[in-house]
Amino acid sequence: MDKRFIQVGARSPLPDPAKKPRRSVGKPAAALAVLAVIAAGCLFCEAFIPKDPAYMDLYHASQPPSRAFWFGTDTMGRDIFSMIWHGGRVSLAIGLLSTAVSTGIAVLSGAASGLAPKWLDGLFMRAVEIFLSIPSLLLVVFLQAMLGKAGVLSLSLVIGATSWTSMSKVVRAEVRRLRGSEYVLASRCMGGGFFHILRRHLAPNFFPSIMFMVVMNVRSAIAAESTLSFMGIGLPLETISWGSMLALSEKALLSGAWWIILIPGAFLAVSLLCMTSAGNWLREGGRQDSSHL
Amino acid sequence: MNDILLDVQDLTHCFRLGRRTVLRAVDKVSFQLHRGEIFGLVGESGSGKSTIAKCVMSLLRPTAGKIRYLGVNICDPGQFRAHKKLLQTSRQMIFQDSASSLNPRMTVADIISEPMAIHRIRPPRGTHRDEAAFQLRCVGMDAAYLDKRPGELSGGQRQRVAIARALCMGPDLLAADEPVASLDVSIQAQIINLFKHLQAEHGFTFLFIAHDLAVVRYLCDRAGVMFQGRLVETAPTAELFRNPLHPYTKALLSAIPIPDPRRERARVLEPFDPDRFDREGVLAEAAPGHWVLKKEAP
Amino acid sequence: MRRKNPFIYYGGKALAFVISVFLLSAAAFYVSRLAPGDPLVSYYGERAEKMTAAERAQAEARLGLDQPTGVQYIRWLENALRGDFGISYKYKTDVVKVISARLPNTLLLGGIGFVLIFTGALALGALCAWCEGRLADRLICRVGTVISCIPEFWLSLVLILVFAVQLRWLPSSGAYTTGGGGFGDRAVHLILPLAVTAAGHLWYYAYMIRNKLLEEVRSDYVLLAKAKGLKRRTVLFRHCLRNVMPSYLSLMAVSVPHVLGGTYIVETVFSYPGIGTLSFESARYQDYNLLMVLCILSGAVVILCNILAQVISERIDPRAGEGEVPEHG
Repeated sequence: MDKRFIQVGARSPLPDPAKKPRRSVGKPAAALAVLAVIAAGCLFCEAFIPKDPAYMDLYHASQPPSRAFWFGTDTMGRDIFSMIWHGGRVSLAIGLLSTAVSTGIAVLSGAASGLAPKWLDGLFMRAVEIFLSIPSLLLVVFLQAMLGKAGVLSLSLVIGATSWTSMSKVVRAEVRRLRGSEYVLASRCMGGGFFHILRRHLAPNFFPSIMFMVVMNVRSAIAAESTLSFMGIGLPLETISWGSMLALSEKALLSGAWWIILIPGAFLAVSLLCMTSAGNWLREGGRQDSSHL
Repeated sequence: MNDILLDVQDLTHCFRLGRRTVLRAVDKVSFQLHRGEIFGLVGESGSGKSTIAKCVMSLLRPTAGKIRYLGVNICDPGQFRAHKKLLQTSRQMIFQDSASSLNPRMTVADIISEPMAIHRIRPPRGTHRDEAAFQLRCVGMDAAYLDKRPGELSGGQRQRVAIARALCMGPDLLAADEPVASLDVSIQAQIINLFKHLQAEHGFTFLFIAHDLAVVRYLCDRAGVMFQGRLVETAPTAELFRNPLHPYTKALLSAIPIPDPRRERARVLEPFDPDRFDREGVLAEAAPGHWVLKKEAP
Repeated sequence: MRRKNPFIYYGGKALAFVISVFLLSAAAFYVSRLAPGDPLVSYYGERAEKMTAAERAQAEARLGLDQPTGVQYIRWLENALRGDFGISYKYKTDVVKVISARLPNTLLLGGIGFVLIFTGALALGALCAWCEGRLADRLICRVGTVISCIPEFWLSLVLILVFAVQLRWLPSSGAYTTGGGGFGDRAVHLILPLAVTAAGHLWYYAYMIRNKLLEEVRSDYVLLAKAKGLKRRTVLFRHCLRNVMPSYLSLMAVSVPHVLGGTYIVETVFSYPGIGTLSFESARYQDYNLLMVLCILSGAVVILCNILAQVISERIDPRAGEGEVPEHG
């Protein structure tokens, strides 16, 4: 209290360190740790997986978890424990790759649309709306059919190309808000081009608000991959990923082989959950003011 | 004619407000800037001063008319592109609100060296940072402010940073759009004196936009009066204040408060009625260097 | 601001809808022709590979596959405007017939699911805002985060595993047992798909309601209302919730495609005979006529919902519709 009275009228040269925004969401240490363990395990899986994940041991198909097969085997006799770590690589890679694709498209298109004259911007938003109006699953099916046989790269491209619109809208709104500001005008006046203004003035401003979306995009891309592969229009069975492992689960359902469904799915769900908590933490939901109710 | 840096001919700019309404913000304005002079542009708000500045800086494209800078017609996209680098480095602008014309996320050093970074110019004093420190000292600030962000500076300091940013390219033409309007009166005086000092030192041509007549009288060599998009009168400052010819100028000058209560009370205000003032006609030379809007063609 | 003639206003919206659907149909048609695969194979099956060149040409001519894409599209559009969307290659019947047989099932699932999500989110969100920061709020938020992270297809699998395979309480697939089809039978078949549909989307909207309410609760009029002596419940439900409703309504209108996309997956997992399963089948069998109409159908619904959301938000907040006023000099 005293401090406040002394400081009246004086401009303190540095912001008060005590006024740091309090985060209502604590740092999700556990989630980040689990995520790190899963990522590291997938990356260095050769070091510890006991069996060749692709080897089909038909004598031991659909074995429940045992000492020999820790997580059991699937209907084609592959060792699920080895497959999970090996397949995690593919799933995570697709998540990161497709997010890179969608973020790139979103930032460029959003910034261009935000800086464009009004009629062009309106046209672009209409086009995005039509694009959004096709359920993205059908869009993926279409694109997949056009690109031919699905691989890790083509699937990442397809998922990335169908998941940029909401991020693009956020970028566009931010850019529209910023473009009228005088410092962008000043930069244009000094001769700053599109990319200069994007990098120096716009990106630092919308970066925090899309950081959350980027993490969520990784999450939904992994979920999309697993869904598509499960439906049989994503990765083929030979390319092991968390999704393609689950594609066998319809057969497993009939025989009651719960481990084929539950164990890979649990890994998938836990990873997604960890990413969500990391994303929520990034969003910085700091709420300092108190309720009036 | 080599003496003329900027030649504005019949500049017109219209804003489309709706499907049918068009606002003529600037209407057939012509004036010239001589090398090394300070030209003041006064007028009430909404009279088109800032639009002229933005047209001159190529931030807006004029609807009609010509702007020649060093003989280059900057309204012509082809010519603009051919001389892009020259135009972008030798013309600089200072905005009204320094709080919004500086990116709040950048440090002072980054802000000042931004134009050098854009044009990939090797600064004459070593690194970008050294150059920024030098420019900062030129505008009367300590190098200790280099790592501060605009939010931590006062209004006057921010405006000084904006001036340093404009000056680091060594411009020939500096346009300032009401640079002191958002400052306290005491700070205004400091900044005006800084402008005067810097102009004498660097010799740039200065297009100074203001609505404060006293500031224009103190700072400018010549002044132009804007009224509803028209330039109604232009003359050397002393001449303009001694012998205003256009009724609008007369009304405007009669409204200057006099710092003597007795005379202030006795003062007769010219009746101010926007409809009474003529907007039509062309500029005609009434006395050497003194041009007034007159109805009949010359 | 000048008030717009409502006739022109809604006319303009209708025109925008028609143009969007038209563009969508053109895009869908073009893409479906670009896609690889031999439609003859899906129409004639094995026989297509044994055909001679002449037979092939004849078959293609009969199906109109030999003309350039533009001509094909115009012909398709002419027929479509007359209500003839062509023949499904796979089912060998009119596309409209195939779809109209499945549509009620999807409408039932999607409609009930949507209502469940809509009301459930409202109730949960209000509950969380009511006891902000207390156990119930934290619990609901935590559970919501966990469940919304689980991919829908896996949630369906787990539920099937538990309730259909292990406990044998509920059927695992289909919309009704063959031969049966009474009300009770259908209801039982709907429980699991509905549970997954609702669980997948509910939390997001509930969380949104909660956050909007918490924002609202921090505004000054709430302080005034409390000072006036209004009850806590009255302030929250009569004042805050009412202020949140408009944006919630327009959000729900926009979110139809998400719910729709969700039911597509759920339908496929449960082999529920609806539009979703049909879409995947047609994609897998390269049944272009069917797939295209399905695409346009769901796209039209989405565009309609978008326009609806626009209308809602513009009616409530007239600023949203008009563009920014250009800057003055």
